[in-house]
Amino acid sequence: MPTVRKRQQTGAAVVFVGPFVVAYLVLFVYPTLKMVVLSFTNAPLIGEGKWVGWSNYLRLAHDNLFLQSVGHTIYFVVLTVIPTTLLGLVIAMMVLRLRGLLQSLVLAAFFLPYILPVTVVYRIWEWMIDPQFGIAQLPIRLLLGHSVAMWSDPLWAMPSIAFITIWWTNGFNVLLFIAGLKNISQDVHDAASLDGAHRWARFRYITWPLIWPVTALVLTIQLILQLKIFDQVYLMTVGGPFNSTYVVVQYIYKQAFQSNHGGYGATVAVVLFVAIAALSVLQFQALRVRPS
Amino acid sequence: MKGLWKNVAAASALALLGLGSAAEAKTQIVWWDFLAGGDGVRMKALISAFQKDNPDIEINATTLEWGVPFYTKVQTSAAIGQGPDVMTYHLSRLPLGVSTGTLRPFTDDELKSVGLTKDDYFASDWDAAHVDGKLYAVPLDIHSIVLYYNKDLLKKAGLLGDDGKPKGFDGLDNFNAALKALTDAGSGHYALSMHNGQPDGSSVWRIFYTLLSQQGGTFMKDGKVLDGDNLGKAEKALNAMANWAAQGWMPKNTTYPSSIALFTSGKAAMHINGVWEVPTMVDLAKQNKLGFEWGAIPVPTLFEHPATWADSHAFAIPNRKGNDIAPDKLKAVLTTIAWINKHSIDWASAGHIPAYKPVTESPAFETLKPNADYSALAKTAVFDPKSTITGVASPAYDAATNFMEPAVNGQMDAKSAIEQTRDELQNALQ
Amino acid sequence: MKRFTPSGVALTSLTLLAAALWIFPLYWGIITSLKPEYEVIEPAISLIPRHWTLDAYVYVFANTAILRWYVNSTGTAVAITVLVLILSAGCAYALSQLRFPGQYLLYGMILASFMVPIQALIVTHFVLMNSFGLIDSWLGVILPQLIVPVTVIVYKQFFDSIPKEFREAALLDGANEFQIFGRIYLPMNWGVTTALAIITFIGAWNNFLWPFLVANSNASMTVTVGITQVHENFGVQYARNLAGAVIAALPVAIAYLVFQRRVTEAIMLSAGIKG
Repeated sequence: MPTVRKRQQTGAAVVFVGPFVVAYLVLFVYPTLKMVVLSFTNAPLIGEGKWVGWSNYLRLAHDNLFLQSVGHTIYFVVLTVIPTTLLGLVIAMMVLRLRGLLQSLVLAAFFLPYILPVTVVYRIWEWMIDPQFGIAQLPIRLLLGHSVAMWSDPLWAMPSIAFITIWWTNGFNVLLFIAGLKNISQDVHDAASLDGAHRWARFRYITWPLIWPVTALVLTIQLILQLKIFDQVYLMTVGGPFNSTYVVVQYIYKQAFQSNHGGYGATVAVVLFVAIAALSVLQFQALRVRPS
Repeated sequence: MKGLWKNVAAASALALLGLGSAAEAKTQIVWWDFLAGGDGVRMKALISAFQKDNPDIEINATTLEWGVPFYTKVQTSAAIGQGPDVMTYHLSRLPLGVSTGTLRPFTDDELKSVGLTKDDYFASDWDAAHVDGKLYAVPLDIHSIVLYYNKDLLKKAGLLGDDGKPKGFDGLDNFNAALKALTDAGSGHYALSMHNGQPDGSSVWRIFYTLLSQQGGTFMKDGKVLDGDNLGKAEKALNAMANWAAQGWMPKNTTYPSSIALFTSGKAAMHINGVWEVPTMVDLAKQNKLGFEWGAIPVPTLFEHPATWADSHAFAIPNRKGNDIAPDKLKAVLTTIAWINKHSIDWASAGHIPAYKPVTESPAFETLKPNADYSALAKTAVFDPKSTITGVASPAYDAATNFMEPAVNGQMDAKSAIEQTRDELQNALQ
Repeated sequence: MKRFTPSGVALTSLTLLAAALWIFPLYWGIITSLKPEYEVIEPAISLIPRHWTLDAYVYVFANTAILRWYVNSTGTAVAITVLVLILSAGCAYALSQLRFPGQYLLYGMILASFMVPIQALIVTHFVLMNSFGLIDSWLGVILPQLIVPVTVIVYKQFFDSIPKEFREAALLDGANEFQIFGRIYLPMNWGVTTALAIITFIGAWNNFLWPFLVANSNASMTVTVGITQVHENFGVQYARNLAGAVIAALPVAIAYLVFQRRVTEAIMLSAGIKG
């Protein structure tokens, strides 16, 4: 009796999906809608505000620090996304050449930073690049003749945060590329032995096209991830020097939590949300084209 | 037997969770402070001594990060009716805190109930604790900046007097000559170190404000920031500091801990920093890890008048919206504040000058070293202007971070740094 | 099979050198935390401490509430892990095996929120947690971290790939949906559950922004946030700072080293690459 069974299924389904759906509605859907509503008000962080229409959004267009933080976020994305993707591919290929224990050890060395909390990464690098006592200043002094206070120098601040971020998160990309390369390695081997291809040519004309779907996946994941940057900047430079590393999420934090402008903070959040949602569609496409 | 162990286990689990095992008899108060390092150690000792004396009060203390993070937390929590029953607060920030509605005033009766009166405090401190005629905080100390010096290196350069104190430091030219003599570029030794890098410009502000005040300059008056010839004086103060870095007498972009480490490792002959670093030196010297004799004196008079920046740690009660402090907790908080003030001789060992006069005027304090060497600075101490743009974690500190500190490090010229500071702060006043 | 060529040896050496450089900051952090504070700032670089000491660790344990933060981190991370897995597995089972109204809409929304920008929701999450009265509490830390759509997606993929025969046989035996879920689908996927559990735990332990906003005191401060609270405002404390960092990183580092294979598996699963 299909209808009885169907009804039973619906009953069971309610129990199975109920808790998730409730949590999803309360903790994701409602906050998202509430954020949109708030963005049209001048509410403080906690409490009611007046409806102000589009004026928060119009204000964004002339808000210097907001525009700067958008620029810095994009700059950070440029500094991280493509380098970390390429580096991940190179390291994955280097690791795959090795065998046995050596391979596990080398992989662990490249991967371990990824599982660390951001505050630990901050502490480690704060000490590494300390302008007076940091060990990383030795090679810098050799190269430039003087030490560089990375996080106090507008020229170096964002690149150094990007560098540290790559060090921290690159293990993730390495893993994805290793999985991808393992999938195609047999094809590469067969094709290469057929025509005796030179190493570079083999990479350029066989490996690269075959690994491209994984590359596209890594690129989009990184793009979305790095747009959300806050933790490292907040810990390492607090947005300085001269606001040169101020980023979008930090601006949300500043408006909502430090200046008590919940409505305007929500407006910035909506902009970020929409940008990431749009890029998620991109990522979804990337996922779909990957060979299974 | 089994039951006993069960109880012990339960009690220790509760204790671990900070719930306390004999909660019914005790008044619990929630305490927030920003005191780390030597300050933190001493305050923790004071709290536990207090609890031994007052078994009916239990203090749940949390230490949060000094500066902007602490004051951001306090402000957001108070706005939503949360937060501590009592907290430490900088008097310099009081007007800003009151303007955001974060603080609850004390009444005279409340103070009287625990035996504290106006006469127990220095007039300057007492005044700084008031906004619009209301007392918003009970002062604990006066703290300032001092010049730490390495006696061995100063002696070698012929700059140490017979009394063990530096000689010939007064006046900017003399001080600069001394810095030059103390610098040994060949071995990378500096004459001076100060915190002029990460994480903020707080130390730059303190020294800048000292040098501005030594010229008789005022940072703001009648709602005008750096008005008239004060602009020139401010530029002069900043230029003096920038010159030390430019000449190579002092390293640039030095983070807070490394500015101290330069001094304690003998790589910088002198160091300007808060009195709160006294315990660092005392402890290192005690363990024989310093490798030299050290001393501390008030910042030398480099311009016309002796003057030093100063601030106060104080106790305040947050104005929690819709969740006012309960009477029994208020009583416990007042008891705590009074007790700690009366025992603040132990706080003085963190380098501070107690605000509570009966302690400061006691023989125990008058002979306390090294405080006695610099306690005279209290007479010429200048507090931050009483305004909503100055004080710890205020717009003035932001300006010090964004404009003054870069100027000290040669990344910006002093004139435009001062002008931008003025414009930014004038703007923030609107 | 493999021949040693000069370029091969050179490439291997280069790889090893790169790996050593990559891991060096970690080594340097740990080593520094085991030195006395005065040795840390000596001009001569010593790659191994001249005096081994646990002073920095003793200081951190004695002067911070790190044990309390540990309890908070463990409690919230375990709760988040358990809840996320229960919510996700149940939801995924229904999506995969049952037919019910609104099914496609639900799955579509879950896919659409694949990369939930939690950072964008901090303002309203804070407002919401405040109206529940949960600021500075474990639940306040936990709740906003429960939305992990990718766990549902991964579970669904695995449930989809279990042959229908198992389910049909169980139905014929008179088993109800809960029994099928609990006795067949979950046990057959313990591997996935372990992998997802480890990575959810690591993620929750490492989370910074939300706990940083919602935790005000030692009542709910996690160790990841807490170690930046003993901040550089006093004295020379490189070794202490790093000791705090080592303590904070220990559980996740151990979790990774013990469950290395599971962690890598989970990462690929959550990125959409099936192992």
